[in-house]
Amino acid sequence: MTAPRPHRVVVTGLGVVSSLGPDRESTWSAMLEGRDGLGPLTRLHLPQEPAQIAGQVPLEPARHQTLCERMALLALASALDGLRPQGDPARVGVFQGAGTSGLPVAEAYLEARLAGQRGKAAEAAYQSPCTVTDALARHLGAEGPRSTIMNACSSSLLALGQAWERIAAGELDLAVAGGAESLCRTTYAGFSSLKAVDAAKCRPFSRDRAGLNLGEGAVQVLLEPLDRARARGATIYAELLAYGASMDAHHPTAPHPEGEGAARAMAMALQVGGLEPAAVDLVSAHGTATPANDGAECLAIRRALGPAADAVSVTSTKSQFGHTLGAAGAFGAAAAILALRDQVVSPTLRLEAPDPVCDLDCTPLEARQRRVGAALVNAFAFGGNNVSLLLSRWSGA
Amino acid sequence: MSAPDLAITGLGLVLPCGDGIDAARASLGAMAPCFADLPESLGRGRGAACTAFSPAGIIPPMQLRRLDRPSRFAWGAAHQAFLDAGLDPASLRVSGGERIAVAVGTMTGGSEASEAFLRPYLLRGPEGASPMVFPNCVANAASGHLALAFGLKGPSVTFVDRENATFAALDQALRWLRAGLADMALVVGTDGLFPLQLDACRGARMLDRQGNPEVGSGRGFLPGEGAQAFLVESRQRAESRGVRPRALLRALASRAAAGDTEADRVRALAAAVSALGEVKASRWIGGASGLSRLDRLEAPLPVQHPHWPAPIHPKLCWGEFAGSGGQLLAAGLLAPAGQAVITAPASSGSQFAALLEGVSLERP
Repeated sequence: MTAPRPHRVVVTGLGVVSSLGPDRESTWSAMLEGRDGLGPLTRLHLPQEPAQIAGQVPLEPARHQTLCERMALLALASALDGLRPQGDPARVGVFQGAGTSGLPVAEAYLEARLAGQRGKAAEAAYQSPCTVTDALARHLGAEGPRSTIMNACSSSLLALGQAWERIAAGELDLAVAGGAESLCRTTYAGFSSLKAVDAAKCRPFSRDRAGLNLGEGAVQVLLEPLDRARARGATIYAELLAYGASMDAHHPTAPHPEGEGAARAMAMALQVGGLEPAAVDLVSAHGTATPANDGAECLAIRRALGPAADAVSVTSTKSQFGHTLGAAGAFGAAAAILALRDQVVSPTLRLEAPDPVCDLDCTPLEARQRRVGAALVNAFAFGGNNVSLLLSRWSGA
Repeated sequence: MSAPDLAITGLGLVLPCGDGIDAARASLGAMAPCFADLPESLGRGRGAACTAFSPAGIIPPMQLRRLDRPSRFAWGAAHQAFLDAGLDPASLRVSGGERIAVAVGTMTGGSEASEAFLRPYLLRGPEGASPMVFPNCVANAASGHLALAFGLKGPSVTFVDRENATFAALDQALRWLRAGLADMALVVGTDGLFPLQLDACRGARMLDRQGNPEVGSGRGFLPGEGAQAFLVESRQRAESRGVRPRALLRALASRAAAGDTEADRVRALAAAVSALGEVKASRWIGGASGLSRLDRLEAPLPVQHPHWPAPIHPKLCWGEFAGSGGQLLAAGLLAPAGQAVITAPASSGSQFAALLEGVSLERP
């Protein structure tokens, strides 16, 4: 039994800064054309690492601005598309999911100290994932609630859920939610130490998948109550219906092999959103291309949707951008929002030999025009943390 | 958020003064600072370390070596909180775990492991990288370990909103309970000391160099570590289980400043306090720590609320970090009070205030 939500919540802005393009439309066009944003690793100099591929954004940190902050602000500007928030600033909230965030600053400080140098102590002491959240709030003039979630790879999707929760409850008139991620040595070396990185371009759902590639970028989503969006004549991209969240309680890093917890997250989203499994047309999957994730996720989708799973399209943005960790859920949401808007599903690249375990329609190689009425977005994380977001097409009703 | 229907029914504490409620009460009652010279493994300088923490009989040795400090402390505190709420921690795996949410606040979670992972990597390259350490580099490592330890399968979140991360976690937990997505929520604040943090804070001249911090001195703070666990459920559910709440959560409020000035943050904290509604506090827990950046936010409150009692500042005993606001919430539960108000200034993000009602030490 879940409590009723008095307000419908719609997506009225979407900003994307990715390795495929500096904005939403260039990124989306490239995705539909089947291009990927993966290339030789240049952001980091790690010659001893066997994998030298990543999805990189051609931007650099600015003075007193981390790369995450810079990308997040660019994505926000794109999402706002000229909108200047009006009304009570206390009813404007900012919700961010973070991954590496200020970690490059800490890395630089540690490196300096190991080299016997002073390093930038104040920068290191004050570096925090919330600096991105605060920067976005300052840009908006927002005085409402703000929070920064670090749930590893499900962070930004849960941030979207949090924003939905506040608007649906009538507490906010506007929220910005999303995430930003930049490459850093800790995560690159970390996933490499786990043997989770593919030295070639990643191949989600493939029989020969061998791991992930890492990526960077930012996605910011503007959410509003439907009545306010209508009143100001806003473009409505999609409706956000609900989210679900669960824990596996199975393993610190590996997903439950049968996708038990992930299925519960998807089922919770459907229950809260009041949709039947058959209403779902698209699953924007976590789809990391690691051997453990993709099979378990497909089983989870079957568990959650039952026979309706045979009719859904599944896609993985990791094949375009790599795994953007803290921002990954927001990237998956962006793909779903644009699929709902344009009625076309972006492809899973390099899916030439599907794994029999991944026996769903995983949209291999080419974009697919189809009816997309509702979409689930999945993001799973270390610690057995699962989040699923439910969106539906906006048809003006 | 007004939440008089929600109650804290379990409390667990791992603090520099020792484990458990009695040690914390004694420490706070005497306002006895727990700062001492730290062992080299935690950093150079003074801080409040949980040197007496004993995981024996709670965390199996095989698992203990896989855990970072924040996760160890969180596990210990959660174990206490379940027992305090009249629940057998071992039974949750069998039944009920799917309906228990976990919400964690931490300022340092993942950072200790990140240093432990990166230091040898920078010195020795890939062969120095430990796959056992890396999974703890994420701030939500503690929540994952809690889920594994107790079989908790409900929604989970970890907030990193600096000094107030645990209040953000509490806020989210209340929402999940209200929405019916969980029957109980385990809210945990947890932090661990590590060398790089102390080094950076010292280099930035943020640390008190006279040995014990003092509110309003402008000398800075001293860091601490530890965990606080709170089991939250509806009052009705607690009554049906025959458990007496430690306190009701009368209200929880946050406000943020659009600007980045101290005056903006002062206004935001005052607004958060106002949003609590009428406050007739017999106890005031404040979040000042000796760092001017925080102390000045609270400074106007005695004038604005002359009927409040003098504030108690737990960070002067247990240190900054040390639970990212969890230590303040815990302090509010350590003495009987009709109402206990908690003010929680933060160096960035949201300013929080909370109001506890009917704080009781009696257990069934």
